[in-house]
Amino acid sequence: MMWLTSKSLRFLSNVKYSNPLAALVVLMAVAILALLPNVNAQPLPDTPTVQLESSPQWQQTLADAKGETVYFYAWGGSKPINDYLRWAAREIASRYNVRLRHVKVADISEAVSRLKAEDGSKSAIDLLWVNGENFSYLKEQRLLLGKLWSSIPNSALLATQKLPLKNDFGVPIEGFEVPWGVGQFNIIADEGLLGESEQNTVTSSIILAAAKQNPGRISYPRPPEFHGTTFLKQLLVDLSNKDKRLYSAATSQAQDDLLPLLWDYLDQLHPLSWQKGNAFPSSNTEQLSLFQQKQFVLAVSFNPNEMAKEKNEKRIPTTSQRLYFAQGAITNSHNLAIPKAAQNSAGAKVVINFLLSELAQKQKLNGSWGDPSVITPLLDEASTLPAQQELHSSWQQVIEDKWQQKYGA
Amino acid sequence: MATKIRRLTLSAGWLVVALVAGLPLFGVIVGLWPSVPISEADVARFFAYNGLTYSITNTLFISLAAPLLALYVAFMVYSQYRFNPRWQTLEKRLAPLLSLPHLAVALGLVYLFSSGGMVFNALWGLFGQTAPDWLGLPRKSLLTMVLAISIKEVPFFLLILSALGRQLAIKDWLLQGKALGYTEGASWWLLVFPIMLKQSRLALLAAMAYSLSVLDISLLVGPNIPQLYAVVLYNWQTGFNAYEQANAFLGNLMLLIMLGLLIVSIYGHEWFTINRLRINAVMANPFKIARLSRLFTAWLGFFSLLTVAILITFLLWSFGWNTQSTISTANWSFSLWQDEWFFMQGPLLHSLNIAFFSSLLGVAVTLLALELQQQTNRKLPDYVWLMAILLPQLSMVYGWQVTHTGLSGSYSTGWIILSHLPFTFAYSYLVLRGPFQSLNQHYELVAASFGYTYWQRWWRVRFMLLRPALLSALAIAFSVSVAQYIPTLMIGAGRVTTITTEAVAIASGNEQSITAVYILVQAALPFIAFLIASILAQRIRGSFDAEHQ
Repeated sequence: MMWLTSKSLRFLSNVKYSNPLAALVVLMAVAILALLPNVNAQPLPDTPTVQLESSPQWQQTLADAKGETVYFYAWGGSKPINDYLRWAAREIASRYNVRLRHVKVADISEAVSRLKAEDGSKSAIDLLWVNGENFSYLKEQRLLLGKLWSSIPNSALLATQKLPLKNDFGVPIEGFEVPWGVGQFNIIADEGLLGESEQNTVTSSIILAAAKQNPGRISYPRPPEFHGTTFLKQLLVDLSNKDKRLYSAATSQAQDDLLPLLWDYLDQLHPLSWQKGNAFPSSNTEQLSLFQQKQFVLAVSFNPNEMAKEKNEKRIPTTSQRLYFAQGAITNSHNLAIPKAAQNSAGAKVVINFLLSELAQKQKLNGSWGDPSVITPLLDEASTLPAQQELHSSWQQVIEDKWQQKYGA
Repeated sequence: MATKIRRLTLSAGWLVVALVAGLPLFGVIVGLWPSVPISEADVARFFAYNGLTYSITNTLFISLAAPLLALYVAFMVYSQYRFNPRWQTLEKRLAPLLSLPHLAVALGLVYLFSSGGMVFNALWGLFGQTAPDWLGLPRKSLLTMVLAISIKEVPFFLLILSALGRQLAIKDWLLQGKALGYTEGASWWLLVFPIMLKQSRLALLAAMAYSLSVLDISLLVGPNIPQLYAVVLYNWQTGFNAYEQANAFLGNLMLLIMLGLLIVSIYGHEWFTINRLRINAVMANPFKIARLSRLFTAWLGFFSLLTVAILITFLLWSFGWNTQSTISTANWSFSLWQDEWFFMQGPLLHSLNIAFFSSLLGVAVTLLALELQQQTNRKLPDYVWLMAILLPQLSMVYGWQVTHTGLSGSYSTGWIILSHLPFTFAYSYLVLRGPFQSLNQHYELVAASFGYTYWQRWWRVRFMLLRPALLSALAIAFSVSVAQYIPTLMIGAGRVTTITTEAVAIASGNEQSITAVYILVQAALPFIAFLIASILAQRIRGSFDAEHQ
């Protein structure tokens, strides 16, 4: 019975191509692409990408990858992302004869914990979506495959000049992971909430004023959830007027000078915030969901296109605004890494190469996910928010620990 | 020769049982072994963690209050319904009530009844006003958490009580109570409650252990200034620097201590309550609680309404409804169901397959464990059997994972079934122990006098009389297996996806519509199991019916 229904559903989904001619054209195009795997390696000779692609080393990787199944551990909580990976899996299967399997996890630390349990022996993970603390731990434990940038042709396309792609939350990447997309910290707010400024920028004092106007309707994800911590970082940058010491190791002197600015501010904000600061949303997704339910007047996000996507889906009012902090949006990459003990590392490299291709990056940007591109050909500076450097990695722990000390109980 | 064979079978049996029951302990020892040496400074830092005391006391409060509240409510409901035509309706409706996952109940509860929630907004909206903010449940608080858990546990306890009730001669006791001049309400409390309380000890313990360590509900509706203990511990466990690892180790030990406290309090509560009842009986005090019971005649209607409301909410979400839409502006569509259905079939079949075998095996090993204890007259303490429920799951499964990768085990369904077995075993043990041990020996004696051998008696009498309880055990074990996320993912390495691994990952994103689709499908599996069990149970006579018809 089940299979019967599935067939009829598949039939239904095919009917979407209302014009049979269009469907035929699409089919033909796919067939031609499949027949001519080199068709997309044509543009501009002599770029580093092309050189790398024709290298015997990459040809060998392609050959090794044939028939492999790549188990890709990635957070599975977002339908647009899951749909994007389903699309990518179809493309990769038809182009390279590699099967991409998305292993959905609720938290990527589950993958890190598996790598720890395997302790360097044959790994069940071929590819993982990672950044921040988890990356830093895996790199330090020498559990990741290195030299990815030099062995994957499309990494030459990465927009390293324009985007901060060489460090991951202050930890040098050094070829142990490849940027896949960027996050830029922004705020989605009700229309007119944070003033009518032309630049769509926001400062700590504007947020406080908005909290006074809308008591109980503002909050942020509870640190150590990293959206919450980033919100605090943005506030700290703003309150300290972008103090230089935030970008080097957090000395106790710097902490004593700068952190009180943040705590004084939060002491004013918390009594005006949701449940008077006696509870916080557990995550950015929960905050967004409460914003959708009109309980909050703002939500934070790392995806600059999140607001457009939400509007499209009619989940938030069409009048909502996207804002960013006046000193610039903290910008981070989210990345792909291959465990050193991966069983299908050739296939994993082919997958990364595809995900960095123009086709895949374009689909990621323009499709329902809307995640910004990281490659030069697609860099759209108009839609990129003015970026701001990430704080030195030591501040993360300091802010989280001190916050827990002051407000955690 | 015969004794030799008998001894051999006995020891083989014990071996199987010891393996299944001991796996959790083994996992915890391997998984918890500290990777870093623990110093005194670590211990000092652990206890200096801001809010630890509150976090522990709040969590203990929830773990005590929610299951006890649920047990009392379930008993009152049971006493109001048992010898009443409505009992049949209740038994029929128990299946859908049982199969909604905890997360769904919590989500639905806050969405509908929180301050600013749908129900109050709609009611006030009728008069063109907005509901006041103070009205309704706080989104995150101890109260909301206790309510969410206890509402969901009532049907579970009802199932346990109903399985127990089939083996007890409650009707006789009530008659005796009447003869002694007690009202029916008082007799329920004085004669039935003490026995039922003792026999549902394990279920109470399981519900407490669940409340103690549940993560998703704590994140959603639990207070988070300070965070509940399960959340704090999870943050340590998924942090990888040395001090977080040390905290995780100490935190797990603390969890075991908290569990010990809960076990003690179960016995304490039993002692206290039974004493109170005895005093009441002797002094012939008026029974206030018996009057309270009468309120619960309305429970079935109320609870069914709640379930239907939650189901409708989820259905609406899955068809594209959200807070921004009105009936006319919502973009209603079935596209989510169409999109996802194709990808759900594999996971659904895996779930069915794994749950079928692991529940069957779990119940079989339980029977073996109970039979061995009966034969050798050695009764081990209850908590030995329930270790899978009691010990911290994340460390336990991590230990299995280390062993599994050490053995270069495959990531196949077989291993996953094995990893579910301790859980299905523990739950079916807690359902079956009461009925098995309180089975009236009289029938087997009669059978023996007719010349039936031991095994003939076992099969023809004991097993047959246990059938209703066995069905409940199977259904519970099945739903427990369906709900497993951590073992499935950690042992199966994502090669075998089940509807739960998908649903839990999806739910982590808080996207209403897609979460609703997966939760509804996930709830369908236990629903089918409970439905089949309840239909069959009504056709089969248990030992109670055998005595009373």
